[in-house]
Amino acid sequence: MGTMDLYERTEVINEWLARYGVKFGIYKNNTFKEQLFPFDAIPRILGAEEFAVLEKGLKQRVRALNLFLKDIYGAKKILLDKVIPEEFIYSSSGYTVQCEGVCPPKDVFSHISGIDLVQGKDGEWYILEDNLRVPSGASYPVIARELCRRSSPKTFRENRIEDNRNYAELLSHVMDYVNTGGISVVLTPGRYNAAYFEHSFLAERMHVPLVEYDDLIVENAHLYFIDYSGKKVPVGAVYRRISDEYLDPMNFNPESVIGIPHIYDVYRKGNVALINAPGNGIADDKGIYYFVPKMIRYYLGEEPILKNAPTYLPFYEEDRKYTLEHFDRLVWKDVAEAGGYGVQFGSGMSAEQKEKFIATLMRCPRRFIAQEVIDFCDLDIFEKGERVPRKADLRAFVLTSEEPVVWKSGLTRFSRNPDSFIVNSSQGGGFKDTWILSQS
Amino acid sequence: MDIKSIVKTDRLYWLGRYLERVYTTLLLFEKSFDKMIERAAEYEKFCESFEIPNVYSDAEDFLYRYPFDENNPDSLRTNLRRAYDNAIELREEIGSEALAYVQLTVYAMSRAAESPAPMGEFQKITDNILAFWGCIDDLIEDENTRNLLKVGKRVERIDLYGRLHMPKPDLVREIHRLSGRIPRCSIHYRPEVIVRLNELADAAEPDYPTIVYEVDRILG
Repeated sequence: MGTMDLYERTEVINEWLARYGVKFGIYKNNTFKEQLFPFDAIPRILGAEEFAVLEKGLKQRVRALNLFLKDIYGAKKILLDKVIPEEFIYSSSGYTVQCEGVCPPKDVFSHISGIDLVQGKDGEWYILEDNLRVPSGASYPVIARELCRRSSPKTFRENRIEDNRNYAELLSHVMDYVNTGGISVVLTPGRYNAAYFEHSFLAERMHVPLVEYDDLIVENAHLYFIDYSGKKVPVGAVYRRISDEYLDPMNFNPESVIGIPHIYDVYRKGNVALINAPGNGIADDKGIYYFVPKMIRYYLGEEPILKNAPTYLPFYEEDRKYTLEHFDRLVWKDVAEAGGYGVQFGSGMSAEQKEKFIATLMRCPRRFIAQEVIDFCDLDIFEKGERVPRKADLRAFVLTSEEPVVWKSGLTRFSRNPDSFIVNSSQGGGFKDTWILSQS
Repeated sequence: MDIKSIVKTDRLYWLGRYLERVYTTLLLFEKSFDKMIERAAEYEKFCESFEIPNVYSDAEDFLYRYPFDENNPDSLRTNLRRAYDNAIELREEIGSEALAYVQLTVYAMSRAAESPAPMGEFQKITDNILAFWGCIDDLIEDENTRNLLKVGKRVERIDLYGRLHMPKPDLVREIHRLSGRIPRCSIHYRPEVIVRLNELADAAEPDYPTIVYEVDRILG
């Protein structure tokens, strides 16, 4: 594939990314810092046939997860049929009692699903995580693609690559589909949020206002945007980049100062769409992840197309026994953590750390999952003029309106540390574009 | 964007003001920089004109400390930081292209602070501010957005020209530009201040302190 032309321009593209302020925020020692998100121009390339399988599997998974969310806050058939133990739901920090009996507009819970995958060395794809709350990262490959095309038109002339610059259009369509009547807005906690670049970039691309808590008000069970003259403009859809906890101090955390009082009441009455729906945290609980293949069989009557990474729940005695016996070869994840935090390799713990960890595990087995370490494929990156292999994952984005649609791209994140499996930007990782070839 | 909150309206106005403050201060700093080669005391005059506390030991200290001092509310860097703080929250209003020029000025300021010869980087700041205004005219369709930015720019310019006792034709030109622009945007202002500024512009000799006083209370 004639792509050398592009690879040689990595530095130029990174300069452009800096020019456009493509950054993420990070707190270190209680100080906020903005950092550039390092880009590597060697893309992850997926063939059309390979993508078709992923696409089918991702749609299937997201359909099942949406049905699960509807069920769990409604009839709870999956619990009655004992497919998932009841205590597993109610002990989850993601289960949100306020969402009981509440159905979002058009029954869409997870409008944007960020599904993290890795490819094993055997070529098999494994799902690592489902992110159904406020998954971020789609904006980075969009802007990177624009700059790659600008820096190396030849590469894109000579290769048939699916265009990924339609992400904002797909998202706009989702918002329009569930909009209850009024304008659509992007709600941000503010510029000191880690993903603020993305909030502002998507608002710009969708031509909708980027708002903060004090721009919105609830009156008579409706949500309004207040313009400069004091005029109240009805709002029908909110792409909120604020977690459930802080969304509404009257319904969730009363100490939240970045939420909108009573916005959840408006949503409960069906007068505004919240994207994604509150309560989704139950579906991206790392413990519930274990049950997703079962959900697919239960709700869809199909065999899962994509595999989970082999996962154990120490909550179950049998799994606990196994995981303690094979402690060192497993990777341990704290279900309450995200962003690469709370991930520990058994083999990397000292005797003292291990002892402490096991004590915590025995006290709260529900808090952890253990997974077999997948020997996943490395991808090459350019470092100091040389190609070197690094661990990389893929975040695929599935947008759901009438039907789930898999965005023909994705965020490929890589570790810059040769000895690390952790790819998160907050932990120093970089990103790549993901190319889907439009023909085999 | 045709729907705007009061906060964004305010930010557009202040972005215009701070960018103008950096731009005009930098132009005059460059002129003073040249004069200071022969007349070291020129820096004292500069401080006096801009009402900057003279805490500097000599011209050299001033030249290499004043522009970059993050703890000085009057430094070029602080004013540029204020412009950036407004711009970063306006991407969806002004667009990524225009925002990029503000970002570039921030990078140039950081490089200038590290450079033994910062004037080259200062030139890039000036260039990028001018490019920003060109971009605003060329790419922003919403007239209100353009006008809010430009009203900020005009108000700041009148304020600076008044403080610096600039020639009357320059002041009159800016007052006329502001008078034509401000009714065409969504900012709440005091119309009587515009009337008063025009009266002052018609006087034989500019009453600089009154002009500064009036323009500073234009938004109430």
